Amino acid sequence: MEQPKKVLACVDQSPYADYVADYSAWVAQKFNLPLELLHIIDRHQETATSDDHSGAIGFDAQENLLNRLAEEEGERVRANREQGRIFLNELKKRCERHQGLSVDVRQRYGQLLETLSEQEQDVALYVLGRRGKSADQTQRDLGRHVESISRKIRRPILTVADTFAEPKSVLVAYDGKRMTRKCISLLAGNAALTDLPVHVVMSGKKNSEADKHLEWASSTLAKSGFEVQTAYLPGDPEQQIPRAIADREIDMLWMGAYSRSPLKSLFLGSKTNELLRASKVPTVTVHL
Amino acid sequence: MRITIHSTRWAVSPWQSSASIYWSFMNKLRQEWFSNIRSDLLAGLVVALALIPEAIAFSIIAGVDPRVGLYASFCIAVVIAFAGGRPGMISAATGAMALLMVTLVKEHGLEYLFAATILTGILQIIAGWIRLGELMRFVSRSVVTGFVNALAILIFMAQLPELINVPYAVYVMAAAGLGIIYGLPFITRVVPSPLVAIVLLTAVSIYFGIDVRTVGDMGDLPSTLPVFLIPDIPLNLETLEIIFPYAVTLMVVGLLESLMTATIVDDLTDTTSNKSRECVGQGVANIASGFLGGMAGCAMIGQSVINVKSGGRGRLSTLSAGIFLLLLLLFFSDWVRQIPMAALVAVMIMVSIGTFNWDSIRSLRTHPPSSSVVMVVTVAVTVSTHDLAQGVLSGVLLSGFFFAQKVGRILVVRSQSENEGRVRTYTVLGQVFFASADRFAQSFDFKEAIDTVRIDVSRAHFWDITAVSALDKVVLKFRREGADVEVIGLNEASATMVDRFGLHDKDGAEDLLLPQ
Repeated sequence: MEQPKKVLACVDQSPYADYVADYSAWVAQKFNLPLELLHIIDRHQETATSDDHSGAIGFDAQENLLNRLAEEEGERVRANREQGRIFLNELKKRCERHQGLSVDVRQRYGQLLETLSEQEQDVALYVLGRRGKSADQTQRDLGRHVESISRKIRRPILTVADTFAEPKSVLVAYDGKRMTRKCISLLAGNAALTDLPVHVVMSGKKNSEADKHLEWASSTLAKSGFEVQTAYLPGDPEQQIPRAIADREIDMLWMGAYSRSPLKSLFLGSKTNELLRASKVPTVTVHL
Repeated sequence: MRITIHSTRWAVSPWQSSASIYWSFMNKLRQEWFSNIRSDLLAGLVVALALIPEAIAFSIIAGVDPRVGLYASFCIAVVIAFAGGRPGMISAATGAMALLMVTLVKEHGLEYLFAATILTGILQIIAGWIRLGELMRFVSRSVVTGFVNALAILIFMAQLPELINVPYAVYVMAAAGLGIIYGLPFITRVVPSPLVAIVLLTAVSIYFGIDVRTVGDMGDLPSTLPVFLIPDIPLNLETLEIIFPYAVTLMVVGLLESLMTATIVDDLTDTTSNKSRECVGQGVANIASGFLGGMAGCAMIGQSVINVKSGGRGRLSTLSAGIFLLLLLLFFSDWVRQIPMAALVAVMIMVSIGTFNWDSIRSLRTHPPSSSVVMVVTVAVTVSTHDLAQGVLSGVLLSGFFFAQKVGRILVVRSQSENEGRVRTYTVLGQVFFASADRFAQSFDFKEAIDTVRIDVSRAHFWDITAVSALDKVVLKFRREGADVEVIGLNEASATMVDRFGLHDKDGAEDLLLPQ
């Protein structure tokens, strides 16, 4: 039998980790998948500090330096590892309040992006905090890793903000383009979610195809047993979608993500980022 | 029923994979250049200060103006910062390369050196493309140690002309310099002690008007930024004949030292490097150096250790070392001119001490004699020829020889008589090849009066045609004694001769290593 894929929740030691844990536990239970809490220890081997600017090398310079560096790093890593282990176990306890959920914890060395993409084969869904440890200092409303991770990893990614409320309904931001159609197909393929009513919302400039697209989305979802509502809201999607989320009391957003090339988004901005900033509900981005 | 979220697979469009490459690229760019800015800049400065005396000293070894080595160090450091495969490694004009150019400069002049430098670069780029760096796996630990030790000895020996038949003051100054270099770090590690030694010794020699040789006596220093120039040589076959042999040796030594240094930096920083990219990068750097009036160079073991020790990790450290080097020269060339050679000698002795692997002396007695011999031979050949390529080649050949000899010992031939003394079965276990073929042939008793001889080679490896012809001879000899010969399992045994020989191993092959 094939190893069941897992829900991988990436946590850092920030207050947001609790919400990541809550949502990932909810989603893992919903899909009946094992949950793994991953804490990445970035050893930052590309950085160094040294107050030795003597520039002198003497007997056994190389060996001495190697031993010194190995010792220093070992000490630092040991401290981080222990701290991370305690933190992960707290989170594990929090997740285990959900009945029958299998929770595993893991710490890995490496860089966030590489570590996550290495695991891709075994993961059904990633869960990330939209902001992380450095959020309070940098005042970013969207963590700097979210876009690079979403672009690199070809799995659905659930990004969560700083509250937890059990999702009761889903809104799909739909534009009829390839990436959002994939998003609809993906949602339709998941019978576990059929108890959540789905709102498929299109926005933007009026075009003749819109009705046809909505029709396709609604019938695809309905066929799989979803309760579907569709709507077309003329106007700027960056404003209309968050408004629709508020009006309809939606608590989960699904969307195709980052269909613009990095270069284009440099000039035009990224709709995905705008939406992630504007809406506070947990969002599944699909960039497959 | 189990539901998986990811149920459909879509083909990845070319655009998407390019986006993914873009993200990896941006990530790598930030990681390799801008993640360690402050430490990289500081380390770059420390390295630049140490590069000046070295570049001058290596120019003197090569027999060219200090200008040539300094331009080379600037160019190579700057170019390799972008093109190299090992962030944080320092490349510049080096002693190993300088030693190889002496005759070329003496007999044909500077312009030919520039041409040879460019050709070296071209050859290194080709070497990178055809992944010649992978041959480094044949260079054993002992050869690497021998290389490093030989390099240290050569750097030290190059200082001797400055220490023989010179005024008494030079010895005092060199000794004082070494005293400062190794003593000052006990008091403060904020400033580079070699710099303090140079500044103090220069000040003292100017103040007291001590009459010793200075850097200015050795030739021109750079006064401007380097300019692009095409070597003034006839572009014909004759020129190629002159420079090609030099370029080949320079290529080999440059890549050897660069790849060894890259491994050292890999170990020190616990990260990996791209060796093929490093080869190509060295080539690009040398081409640039040749066109800008510099000599060929490569990675520097001592400087790279200094860089890592001072906190340098990223490409910025290498780049800033090159740029600081040139800035310092342009602003302080009047002062650099007055540095006494004795101060440079002290710095170079430090580099030589720091490069030498002292542990290898201590472990001469504890290591297996064969590896000690390889190390010593590498050193001896290099020091006597002044050519690290020849030293490494001797070392590699010798380690191959020792290895063949050792593996040749793994051969056992057992025999048992059967069928009331009419049949004798020989069972051959182990490795049969050129180094063990004789011993294999001698393991049979041809004088035994016997009807049938059975030779079971199914658990032996026949590595080459020497092994097969040895077996043929054995068979023939038994036939001549009137015995019938059956050979069992030759196909399996000689499978090792075919290049497509895979990983299949024979049952019981592992017990060959156990004492019988």
